[in-house]
Amino acid sequence: MKLNLKKFGTILTSRQLGKEALLAFQPNLREILDKENLEIDFKEVASLSPSWADEFLRPLFLKYKNRLILKNTDNLSVKETLSFLEKIGDFEFNKNS
Amino acid sequence: MNKLLTIREAADRLGYSIDTLRRWDKNGFFPAIRQTENSHRHYLVSATEEFSKSLDQLRIAKYWSGSKKGFEPLPCYFCSDSFVFQSRLLRLERDLTEKEKTSDFSSLLLAVIGEIGNNSFDHNLGNWPDVAGVFFSYNLDKREVILADRGQGILKTLRKVRPDINNDKEALRIAFTEIISGRLPEHRGNDLKFVKKVVTSSKMKLFFQTGAAKINLKNKPEFKVEQAQNPIVGCLAKIEF
Repeated sequence: MKLNLKKFGTILTSRQLGKEALLAFQPNLREILDKENLEIDFKEVASLSPSWADEFLRPLFLKYKNRLILKNTDNLSVKETLSFLEKIGDFEFNKNS
Repeated sequence: MNKLLTIREAADRLGYSIDTLRRWDKNGFFPAIRQTENSHRHYLVSATEEFSKSLDQLRIAKYWSGSKKGFEPLPCYFCSDSFVFQSRLLRLERDLTEKEKTSDFSSLLLAVIGEIGNNSFDHNLGNWPDVAGVFFSYNLDKREVILADRGQGILKTLRKVRPDINNDKEALRIAFTEIISGRLPEHRGNDLKFVKKVVTSSKMKLFFQTGAAKINLKNKPEFKVEQAQNPIVGCLAKIEF
C-alpha cells in the first residue's frame, strides 16, 4: 500500500493534526495484507516536525516495523525529524530515498 | 467590522503607556479619533494594526505575555486556535517561497516555528489560565518571527511528569536538553530538543523565555539559562534567520 503524505497537507507540524491524520488513515490499514509493505512518500511535503511525525509515523512504525518504508525523505526538515525520532525512540526507520 | 479601541486598549495592544499614546496623538505620530475636541481618544483596529507594524514586535509580544491582566492581542497577530495558527503558517510558507531561493532552510524554519507555536496549543489545551491562543508575527524583511502565549509555562507543564523541578530555570534547561521518555504519560516533552538541535546547527538564532528564565541559542554548542528581569506568563520566542 502506498500513501502520498501530502494528502494530509504540506506543513505537517501539529501534534493534533498528526493524531487526526492517523485516525483518518486507520480504515485504509485494514486492507493491508499480512506481508504487504506500507510505503509512505514524502514528495512535496514542505515541512515536517517531530510532533506531527510522533503522532502519525511512530505508531505505524511500532505496528509494521520494517514493512513501513519511507520514500523521498530528502527534504531537510523530514531528514532532521526522522533522525530525531530515531534517536529518542532508539529505533531506525526503513528509508528508501 | 472595524472596531474602535479605547486609548487603554490600544496602549495595551501596542505595548506602550497611555501617556505615550497621548503624546503620539499630540505630535501627530499616531493620531487618535475624537468625536469632539474634548471627547475621549479612540483608535480604529485597522489603523492600530498598521501602525503596530512600525514598532518592535518583540516588545509588543513581551508586553502581552508579561501583562498581569489578560487581553486579546490585535487580530493580525492573534491565533485563537491551532487551525488559525496552521493557516498563518501556510501563509508564511507561501511568502517564504516567494522570497527565498532555497526551500531547504525554509523547511527547517517552518518546522521550528510549527513546533514552538503548536506546543503552546498542545500543552495548554483546556488549561489556559486566561487568554487561549498564540501571538504570531513575522517580518521577512527583518527576518524575524515572534511567538508568545499566556499559557501555563514550561515549569507547570513539565512538573506533571517531573514533580521535582524547582523553578523556571531548571524547567527551561530540562525542556531544551533532557530527553524525556516516551513511556511517561506526557509524550510531548521532547519537541524543544528538536528546536535546539536545528537552531544550533543552522543560521537561526533563538531567544526563548518562560516565566523568569530565558535562553539565547545560536550556532554554538554553549547553552546557558539566565534569569529574566521581567517575568512573563507562559512562553515567548523570537527567531531570527
